[in-house]
Amino acid sequence: MFDFLIAAVSPLNLMLALLGVAAGTIIGSIPGLTATMAVAVLVPLTFTMSPDSALILMGAIYTGAIYGGAYAAILLNTPGTPSAIATTFDGYPMAKRGDGDLAVSIACLASVIGGLVGALALLLLAPPLAEAALAFGPVEYFWLAVFGLSLISALSSGDFFKGVIGACFGLLIAMIGISETSAEVRFTFGSNTLLGGVETVSALIGLYCIPVLIDLVATPDRHLKMPEGKRGFRLFEAVGVVLKNKINVIRSSVIGTMVGALPGAGGSIAGLVAYSEARRSGKGDEKYGEGNPGGIIATESANNATVGGGFIPTLVLGIPGTPPDAVILGALLVQGVRTGPSLFADGASIVYTFIFGLLLATILMLPVGLLIGRFAYRAIVQAPKAALVPVVAFMTVIGAFAIRNSISDIAIMIVLGVIGWIAGKRGFSASPIVLGLILGRIAEQGFVQSWTIGDAIGNLWGQFFGRPLSLAIIALTVLTFLYPFWPRIIALFTKRTSEEHGERPALASGKAVVRDLLGFAAFAVIGTIAMRHTATLNPEAAVFPRTIAMAMLVFVALAVVRLFLTRRVTEERVAGSPLRMVSVPLLMLGAVLALPVLGFEIVAALLGVTLIFPAQHDRFTGRGWVILVGGVIVVTLGVTLLFSEGLGVPLP
Amino acid sequence: MRFGTSLLAAAFVAVAGMAAAEDFPKGSVDYVIPFGPGGESDITARFQQPFFEKIYGEQLVVSYKPGGGGAVGWAQLNSMAGDGSVIMGINLPHIIIKPQQGDVGFQTEDLAAVYMFHYTPDAIVVKADSPFQTLEDLVSFAKDNPRQVIFSGSGKGSANHLAQVAFDGAADIETTYVSFQGTGASVTALLGGQVSAAWGYTTVGAAQGDAVRMLAVAMEERHPAFPDVPTFKELGYDLVSGAYRGIAVPNSASEEVRQQVSDAIEAINADPDFQKQMIDGGFALVDVGYGEEMDAFLSEKATGYISAAKAAGIIE
Repeated sequence: MFDFLIAAVSPLNLMLALLGVAAGTIIGSIPGLTATMAVAVLVPLTFTMSPDSALILMGAIYTGAIYGGAYAAILLNTPGTPSAIATTFDGYPMAKRGDGDLAVSIACLASVIGGLVGALALLLLAPPLAEAALAFGPVEYFWLAVFGLSLISALSSGDFFKGVIGACFGLLIAMIGISETSAEVRFTFGSNTLLGGVETVSALIGLYCIPVLIDLVATPDRHLKMPEGKRGFRLFEAVGVVLKNKINVIRSSVIGTMVGALPGAGGSIAGLVAYSEARRSGKGDEKYGEGNPGGIIATESANNATVGGGFIPTLVLGIPGTPPDAVILGALLVQGVRTGPSLFADGASIVYTFIFGLLLATILMLPVGLLIGRFAYRAIVQAPKAALVPVVAFMTVIGAFAIRNSISDIAIMIVLGVIGWIAGKRGFSASPIVLGLILGRIAEQGFVQSWTIGDAIGNLWGQFFGRPLSLAIIALTVLTFLYPFWPRIIALFTKRTSEEHGERPALASGKAVVRDLLGFAAFAVIGTIAMRHTATLNPEAAVFPRTIAMAMLVFVALAVVRLFLTRRVTEERVAGSPLRMVSVPLLMLGAVLALPVLGFEIVAALLGVTLIFPAQHDRFTGRGWVILVGGVIVVTLGVTLLFSEGLGVPLP
Repeated sequence: MRFGTSLLAAAFVAVAGMAAAEDFPKGSVDYVIPFGPGGESDITARFQQPFFEKIYGEQLVVSYKPGGGGAVGWAQLNSMAGDGSVIMGINLPHIIIKPQQGDVGFQTEDLAAVYMFHYTPDAIVVKADSPFQTLEDLVSFAKDNPRQVIFSGSGKGSANHLAQVAFDGAADIETTYVSFQGTGASVTALLGGQVSAAWGYTTVGAAQGDAVRMLAVAMEERHPAFPDVPTFKELGYDLVSGAYRGIAVPNSASEEVRQQVSDAIEAINADPDFQKQMIDGGFALVDVGYGEEMDAFLSEKATGYISAAKAAGIIE
């Protein structure tokens, strides 16, 4: 086996791994650019280059991209990849209070550890882990998705009902388009654009990033707190935090490897499961969700562990865990590699070289990731708003387009972003909506498949609740779900009323109550429309969305009753200039309309320059203006070129 | 008059000259797969990629445009460049069944199909430790236990699903079909023992090797890579079916471009190394080129698939 190790560390391969990690990190940090895209572009290299080297390059890019997703999550509250969703929960609050540099360094350490655990599991334990993964049937996938959803109780930021309603909304959005299990066309309302469903990554970008952009232009406050004085990587501090979280990092890496080994689960679920486990067992100075570094450690170590974990079913069973795995599997097949357990027994050289290359790339990620992370942090902290907003807004536009080369995806992203912003101000935070969106399809497929099987064997109850593995997941789900209510439940049993909660919040004004009612009414309308629509569908296609719509209506009713009983409203104050706020989505929508006519280069420059005005609060000298406008144009055009030339995205 | 004629002649020569100068490929060719990576369409595209480069010295760039079981890609095909720089994978029965199920943004006739290059024959696959040693074992068990034989398969209204419905009819049995998203997920369920058998393709037998056993394949003759696996026909069931895959171009493409693309795919199909790779992978090659041959092939298949789908209650 050491021959392969030596083959993997040849100077050329080292250089490729280094390059790959750096490129991957940058690609992952740009929302919309995915590892799948980068890896797919590189497949032809395996025909001309030596296959070992090309595979190492692909593995390195993949690893780097999963880590790079953390930057945007921490610094802009926008997961660069779905795997980094849970990184936003604590990463962004940390960045807001001025600890963004520390958060990025912690993410790097956690990613390296997770990546190493995943790759070592691939090297040493692949065949048994693949066997274990097969024990997961449709029911278990269903319960795993429900487990992910149970996090909403923790993520509802103060209002549980609003969290559940938001999650139902996300689940319903996930039902749009042609259903994979029943082949029915659902919730498209006659639109061809919606046939393919709402694309997850662009929806994520919209729901998380557009509200940040709107709030950014509203007030002159800085985006993130500036650090005082000169600071380095804060590496020692980061190492200290990781050491304090050593159980967390190991548990999360193991979770990431196992979930990664489940074909069809993927990095986003791994991150969410690890986060939820960390949160439940977590101690620490800060609360989870308010900037506890443990949240970043859990998510980032878990999602990088899925890289190695995902290759386990890919190489042992020939069943790819994630889209980048699938692309790499294709490249291996062209090389004549036959996947299967024998691959590990015979020790086919190409696969071992690849695994060692993956390990190597993960180790190289430490210096590379710290350096690029430092750069990303400084760029985002120091950039004036007038530069940051146009550049980030343009990146969301081109990123949403590039996922599947669709202009309508950009429009959907912006519309969802505005909905997310309004909902956020009304106390419906984005994360439950996103959970629903991400987990909806997995939950539905598992549910319908289990139902069909249970119905055929005449034992529906046993199918859903009679399997040991399912019961274990259900138990964890209940624990996670109840955890945030634990103090209140204990209080219930010890007959102590909630006096220790301190002063009760003041009763809401009449206007606030009306605003809240309007919010609930909107969701009631959506729920009713969905209910009526399911009547036209075949039973298989209707059962899941109907259940969700019904749950949504029930929770809306409960929330309204509670509103009248308690007269308490969870909402966020809208501050700043409405004109500036409105102009961000309007200018972006204008860009979407102009795209087919003018093409990306001109739109890039136009959108960049026009967005400077709503975002500009500082005073600039004449020279400052030239640098600002020039800089924005250069960066947006540079990004356009990266997409069209570097990654072969056909831009109009 | 004379002037007019000569002008016309000059124009004709110019056009002909331009047409003759229309080389294929002019540069790299985008090959859009309307599914995600890892499926049969992707794998075969990856197989074709190096051979295209070998023949033309230009790159075939594979990209993915998944959504709606292929519908998203096909609905957009005709808005792409028709100069031979873009080609897209097409699949039967998808392109025939989908538009029958409702408005999915394209009609079968809208797609300019230029070549069908292979098919994956349907096959019944069981796990190696399954009690079903032969197809007869499975049929007799199903006769005694209606609905208790549970098949996994890739998609509803797909080749797998239509084969299940057709075989249930032919053998006079009632089985249960559970639709999974793609062959990978369907095979995972099979290997994990979540279902009793899978309606898959011969490719599953090639990829999974000793872990699975194919009971029968829906081909006219036995598959060269599996000489020991009988056909349904041998066993007395008239079932020849599978998923056909090919290439379409945007319908703005000229006759010449269509023919050139067709010739290119034909040339790759003729390469013995490519053939070996495909057959070892469990695929079965077909050669249906552009023109009348394609029209006849598509209309014949359409009739068969539509009546099967009607029988299955997938379309009205």
